Amino acid sequence: MNLSNHVTTAALERYATGGAGIGADALWAVEVHLDSCAPCRERLGDAVARHSPETVSLLALVQANLASEVARSPRMHSRRLPRRISRWAPPGLWPRLAMTLLVLAAALGLDLAASSQAFPSLVLLVAPVAPLLGVAAVWSVGLDPAHELVVASPRAGLNMVLRRTLAVLIVVIPALTVAGWLAGESPARWLLPCLAFTAGALAFGELIGLRWAAAALALLWTAGVITPSVLAARTPVLLEPASLPYWAGLIAVIAVALVLRRDAYTGLRSSTWFVR
Amino acid sequence: MTSTDEAHLVRLIARGDRHAFDELYRRTSPWLAVRLRRRCADDELVADVMQETYLAVWRAAAAFAGAAVGGTAVGWVWTIAARRLVDALRRRARDGRLPLAALAAPDAPAADDEVLNVVLGDAMGSALRRLSPDLRQVLQAMVLDGLTVRETAVLLGVPEGTVKTRARRARIALREALS
Repeated sequence: MNLSNHVTTAALERYATGGAGIGADALWAVEVHLDSCAPCRERLGDAVARHSPETVSLLALVQANLASEVARSPRMHSRRLPRRISRWAPPGLWPRLAMTLLVLAAALGLDLAASSQAFPSLVLLVAPVAPLLGVAAVWSVGLDPAHELVVASPRAGLNMVLRRTLAVLIVVIPALTVAGWLAGESPARWLLPCLAFTAGALAFGELIGLRWAAAALALLWTAGVITPSVLAARTPVLLEPASLPYWAGLIAVIAVALVLRRDAYTGLRSSTWFVR
Repeated sequence: MTSTDEAHLVRLIARGDRHAFDELYRRTSPWLAVRLRRRCADDELVADVMQETYLAVWRAAAAFAGAAVGGTAVGWVWTIAARRLVDALRRRARDGRLPLAALAAPDAPAADDEVLNVVLGDAMGSALRRLSPDLRQVLQAMVLDGLTVRETAVLLGVPEGTVKTRARRARIALREALS
């Protein structure tokens, strides 16, 4: 087949009108050539315009219908970026992260509004439990539509949970640092408690499901520390620099427990009976 | 105006460029309409298939832009159109409407093929010409249009077993002609 020669105008016209009169071999050659030759397709368009009124009216009809259809048609988005992100974050994570940042912003706003020195900093009080909202989403049946698929994948387990938790912390800790700096609190006071609560939620989550573990710990901190501190208007002992070694010890214990029970995150059982 | 231009247009469409879509339609729709009309005698059906095809191009352009495969944009459009045509025929068959004479009349051997200077090689060309229309249709659907046996059966309105038999007979005939 000679592709360097383009299709003759006569052949194109005969092809365009759809009639007989082209041998099978020539017809094949024309179609194969048109597949790969834009100028010949252009010339075919001219031939159609001149010799095939039926095709022209068909094209006009389709174009008119398309104009309205296209205007209200949903479109598929490029999937490349989300696929890379989904290795680090389940689909339900974004609203949780946004809410976490909102809570921080609210605490910071209250801090800045009530700048009396006697009142304990709300940012400092919220900081240890701030990541829990995000952590609750990293491994739960209810929030991840593909949870069963994720669990069945070779990478499932503690590795993936930690990876997703890291993604949460990467967002939350800088935000906390900025908020703490604006409120005049040093990160040293809340960083270890914050890590302890994150790791504690993961360890506790192996027993009762991550969502419930995060909720329980957040509730415990709110009832046991935030509320009394606000009512008594003093900084809690737990967040004094003197108690930091105890937090470090707690983290070590939790880490050991987490590693010992790491298999709990490879199955669905840890979350099925409690969630929903 | 090379085929890379069309691929570029599809990438622009993936970003929601309406003008690129109109340009792609202007460039490829006459070719697609003629090619479909040569395979389906029902203009209403051809219009439906074309509309579905370009709508699919508009919606799923990201799938082409994302898949950095070697396929050309025009080949991609044709693949969508061929599948949509088969789907439409299948729908019709299910609705119990008459199995249309889908194909345009088989082409008569032309006397003045010399007006064409693109022809297949001599042996292949004459073998194709001598092939009976039934066998040629099967080859055309499977080789030229890239359809599967099942899709070919729907397009031609014959059982799958017949398609397989005809494909085998066509292969034998071509091999004999070429030997």
